[in-house]
Amino acid sequence: MTEGNKIVLLGCAHSAGEVVADLAARGLALPAHVEWVSVPCGSTIDELLMLRAFESGAGQVMVLACYNGACRSVDGSLWAEKRARAARDLLEEAGIAGWRLQFCNIAPNMAADLPQWIEEFREPVVAEESK
Amino acid sequence: MIVAKRKPLPEIAANLQSTRKLLIVGCNTCVAICLAGGEKEVAVMGSALHLALRNTNPAIVITQRSIERQCEEEFNAPLAEEIAAHDVVLSMACGVGVQTLAEQFPSAIVYPALNTAFMGRPEERGIWSERCAGCGNCVLDKFGGVCPIARCSKNLLNGPCGGSEQGKCEVDPKNIDCAWQLIYDRLSRIGQLDRLLEVEPPKDWSTSRHGGPRKIVREDMVL
Repeated sequence: MTEGNKIVLLGCAHSAGEVVADLAARGLALPAHVEWVSVPCGSTIDELLMLRAFESGAGQVMVLACYNGACRSVDGSLWAEKRARAARDLLEEAGIAGWRLQFCNIAPNMAADLPQWIEEFREPVVAEESK
Repeated sequence: MIVAKRKPLPEIAANLQSTRKLLIVGCNTCVAICLAGGEKEVAVMGSALHLALRNTNPAIVITQRSIERQCEEEFNAPLAEEIAAHDVVLSMACGVGVQTLAEQFPSAIVYPALNTAFMGRPEERGIWSERCAGCGNCVLDKFGGVCPIARCSKNLLNGPCGGSEQGKCEVDPKNIDCAWQLIYDRLSRIGQLDRLLEVEPPKDWSTSRHGGPRKIVREDMVL
């Protein structure tokens, strides 16, 4: 349970989902340790979903929602960001470092950015492992 | 409604270090409305405790239930077998619900997961504020429907005090409205400002906590 190598991406199908599809179309599949979970809107990503990702073995969770103002459901990204903050607080209460949960805004045309974000997100874990 | 807030997770987890089977029981009434102890919060608590106890008590088995109203025995009765089969019950109800479970199931170890805060109402999504202090002698008729006991920081019956400025209370001018400003505005609107000419005598607190634990008995409803 948790603090393993797995990274779970919880993302809005309209933005992050397009990025993942774009990467796949270019033959750039996500790394094996990364699991992609698509949701219909960032607003559906709540504390429970994030905690369950950790509970099911994720060492890190990245929440990906549209940029504010670009959400089809208007406020979905704002809700996702607020809930990610609440989930991070709860994780810290549970003794899990808050940096293991990250929130990012993303747009469908950012396929070049996501792999880099994942790499940067993983850096502290790689550094810990190499100690 | 009764408004409550989740206790810090380490405080809850500290009681569960040697628990093998834990039953979390939520309440779908007041504490569900204030997003503290309903079905969803029970699920979040279950996940959070799994994570919090992952190193110290990884074998803990957590069962989650949520019932309609934990302060009434009839609603709790169907849980009897499950409560007997668990080491600890973590109640996510208000203090009334916790005590009802403990009284109804005398052998069960029942711990609270929430801090019961006050009787209040939802002002808007995610914001709840106090409205009633349960003093046992309602004076809302005299003050235009604004309670000086629950909403004035000093419980003044003959206000306002000198700490009222721009309609705000000196205790926390950013967040607390002066109850006496609200009372004045309201009485003015309904044409009852003359009520403020009456001097209120000191309040008889015997109907409140000063008279000890309270009980209401309706003889016509008891055989």
